[in-house]
Amino acid sequence: MSVAAKIASAARDVLRRARIIPRVWLSVICAGIFIVLLPLFFPLDGKPHADWLQFLGRFHPLLVHLPIGLIVLLPLLEFAGTRRQSLREAAGFVLQIALATCVLSIIFGLLLAYGSGEIGTTVTRHMRGGIVLAIALLLCLAVRPSYVAGKQSRSYFILLTMVVITLAWTAHHGGSLTHGSDYLTRYMPRALRRFIAPSAVSSHPNSFFARHIYPVIDTKCVACHGTNKEQGGLRLDSYESLMAGGKDGIVIAPRNPDGSVLLKKVTLPPSDPHFMPAEGRPPLTPDEIARIRAWVLAGASSDATSVPGIIIAGDQEEPPPPVGDYSALMGEIRQMQRSQGAKLVPLSANPSDGLILRTIDVSGSFDDAQLTKFQKFAPFIVEAELGRTAVTDASVDILSQFKSLRALHLEDTAVTGRTLAKLSSLSQLTYLNLSATRVTSDVLPLLKGMPKLRHLYLFNTPAEPASTEDSDTRSTQ
Amino acid sequence: MKQHPLCTDCDDKITPMGLPIPAGLKKEWSVSESRRQFLGRSGKVLGWAALASLFGEASFRHSVFASGGNQENNVTLPHFAPKAKRAIYLFMSGAPPQVDLFDYKPNLAVQFDKDMPASVRGNQQLTGMTSGQARFPVAPAHWPFNQHGQTGTWISDLLPYTARMVDDLTFIKSLNTDAINHEPAIMLMNTGNMNAGKPCLGAWLAYGLGSMNDNLPTFVVLQTKTNPRQNNQPVSSRLWSSGFLSSEFAGVGLRSVGDPVLYLQDPAGVDRDTRRRMLDAVEEINRQTLAEVGDPETNSRIAQYEMAFRMQSSVPELTDLSKEPRSTWDLYGPDAKRPGTFAYNCLLARRMAERGVRFTQIYKRGWDVHDNVVGNLPVLCKETDQGCYALVTDLKRRGLLDDTLVIWAGEFGRTVYSQGGLSQENYGRDHHPRCFTTWMTGAGVRPGVAYGETDDYSYNVVKDPVHVRDFNATILHCLGIDHNKFTYEFQGLHQKLTSPVPAFVVQGILA
Repeated sequence: MSVAAKIASAARDVLRRARIIPRVWLSVICAGIFIVLLPLFFPLDGKPHADWLQFLGRFHPLLVHLPIGLIVLLPLLEFAGTRRQSLREAAGFVLQIALATCVLSIIFGLLLAYGSGEIGTTVTRHMRGGIVLAIALLLCLAVRPSYVAGKQSRSYFILLTMVVITLAWTAHHGGSLTHGSDYLTRYMPRALRRFIAPSAVSSHPNSFFARHIYPVIDTKCVACHGTNKEQGGLRLDSYESLMAGGKDGIVIAPRNPDGSVLLKKVTLPPSDPHFMPAEGRPPLTPDEIARIRAWVLAGASSDATSVPGIIIAGDQEEPPPPVGDYSALMGEIRQMQRSQGAKLVPLSANPSDGLILRTIDVSGSFDDAQLTKFQKFAPFIVEAELGRTAVTDASVDILSQFKSLRALHLEDTAVTGRTLAKLSSLSQLTYLNLSATRVTSDVLPLLKGMPKLRHLYLFNTPAEPASTEDSDTRSTQ
Repeated sequence: MKQHPLCTDCDDKITPMGLPIPAGLKKEWSVSESRRQFLGRSGKVLGWAALASLFGEASFRHSVFASGGNQENNVTLPHFAPKAKRAIYLFMSGAPPQVDLFDYKPNLAVQFDKDMPASVRGNQQLTGMTSGQARFPVAPAHWPFNQHGQTGTWISDLLPYTARMVDDLTFIKSLNTDAINHEPAIMLMNTGNMNAGKPCLGAWLAYGLGSMNDNLPTFVVLQTKTNPRQNNQPVSSRLWSSGFLSSEFAGVGLRSVGDPVLYLQDPAGVDRDTRRRMLDAVEEINRQTLAEVGDPETNSRIAQYEMAFRMQSSVPELTDLSKEPRSTWDLYGPDAKRPGTFAYNCLLARRMAERGVRFTQIYKRGWDVHDNVVGNLPVLCKETDQGCYALVTDLKRRGLLDDTLVIWAGEFGRTVYSQGGLSQENYGRDHHPRCFTTWMTGAGVRPGVAYGETDDYSYNVVKDPVHVRDFNATILHCLGIDHNKFTYEFQGLHQKLTSPVPAFVVQGILA
């Protein structure tokens, strides 16, 4: 027997066996293979392709809501169908339409991504999600007849659950692509936000970049220039990638706003084809542009905490929480003053602004023991002026109980910084003066973790940065 | 008792002048005086009582009734949480020429010796010093300007140190005043009124915010030793007067020559205990007088004696610069070692800020350059430039600029046209109230801002005018005070620093 005859008989054998497989399964497998192979026809290479592909592709967001609605409807109909036969019959039809529109959506989605040259992990995940969804729907379609016949009801419902979960996952990624990855979380209450991993913005959480530049770029640019998509090979989702630029070179030229491509593109007339953000996404406000311009002019630093001439309303972020009303303790406060010499001075006429602990009249004799006596008033003390007093490291322990403190003066004291880590419990602290103490640079990492600390002074200490002249010692963060 | 030959009913000793006071006259004086005191006192007490009953006890829970009482417990002030606890005011008496230092007008160079258009001056009345001039030739700044800092602020080359800190400064280029001569203008800047008798800014602050340190005055005035080659307009204690407020709120001047405070050392043979006992006795006598006459000024005197006693130890410590590190002298320059120089005063101001002095005002006279700008201005700038920079930088590196407001200002500006002859070598500038430039920095104000604009001749304000009243209202705002609520009843008026004319806080420069 020739080799050709052998192959022919094997093929006949395969075909004979294939006939055993029900027709419906055969077509399911064929369609599945087609869907899985679909991306091969349109490989996502990150390059824009023909315009007509994009034109068609842009119907994807419109089309995609059709299968979403139908798929959500499907389990409802199935459940309702256990009572009403007509609804169960309708479910079969809905499933077919859902599958058809799903496949159509995948095709249009591929056209969109391929045509506009979008790549990125979210794009890929969204695409794969769509394909898995379509296959799951196909399987549903194949299993359903036996479910209707009263067999295999369990596997059908498992498949249906899988469909719904895949749908949610895929739709979420699609939403992230159009609205940005933080669309859902941006206005989430602070209490809830704790549970989400913090965004890896920068190692300088208090810097001007982290507070005022990154949020703008994250909202307006990262949807297309981030991990999701990397339009133009440009990612803007971190300081490093922003400064690195894209395929066409850098986009931020420090100290040269007019030479910075990013600023140029956002300030073009909106009708210009190169205007950014593209695709009708919300443009940057004049205020945001001014902010970026000033930041670039000032050197585009990742860690500078302020930019000259730019103050942002609400820069203080949320106002410090009001302290309780100390009015009832006024008699005791005066008594303390008479007996201790150190004063508790109201910050303002408004009791919820808190008290200042002022030791200047008795600074030479004010020591750790005296500070202990003020512990009772700790919830109301927002500023402790302990500069030039006789307090020591032991006081730092005591001060860690003064939870309302926003400003702490320890300059010119015997504090060594040994116990300074305890201060991390002071979540409201924005100002810490350790000038002319013996603290060393070992304390810096401890203090960096303090969320609100903006003004740290280390003048005349071993921890002082090497060059004092002309450098920003106002904030050594 | 020895009888005076001229007077038969004199029961007094002979008075120091050698004149007798008839008993009848003395009796009448004491009756009328005590009636006045009684009415003055009871008026206040009744007023408070009436107010307290109107508003209920609660609103006065913390307030201290007696004027000149312990202000620390008077928590009607600050009205709101202040950005600045204290202020340092560098007063450039005589009016620095804004057009030579800060208000850069590049177009003036081509207009050298051309007549200033009459439309610019309008119907303005000039001083007698230039009103007779046949023409008003434009005198561009003699020294070049350059851009500095990240804000690219234009600053004259005469101020190389100021140029290094422009990013930290807040300029107001549109300040304007009502007065064209020094005395009324400097009174207006300091007291909000051209006429004498009103309390100055420092006195208002001392009265309203009180002392932070019981051992030093709340309000200190430092005068810079005058340079005899300069045109030194006089400054007087009217400028740091407490006006109608209790005199304990007046500025305490530290002398620029010799001992900062005279007779601070106890005399030979008098030890500290003896001095204490003497003061206790004096105080007792004073208290008797107070009970008898009820003049609140007696209270002030008691407080001042006590302050003087405490200053015997606090002032030597304040002025002892021997422990200042080398970095201080590097920063302030060699001038700072000589008492009475501007740099020395700046260093003292920093030390006072550390020690809880609420308000320090440094006067530097001699800016009245008139017909010799080129001769005088470089010297004036050299005398003050490094001190200003050193003070701001020093406050900043020590963490004091976060709660200290620093103000640099004169009483008005100077004209763009030349007073007297104009040549390539020299020119003059007359008084100019319509615009002048000032800067502030530190707590409460936004760094790197230039507020307000003048026309091409630095003559008229074209954008965002700031009147002296607005300027003072803004300073009060930085210290947590609403200038409209901060009043003191006197002569039937609710007197305030910003005068009865409406004043507005300059929102555009606030941090």
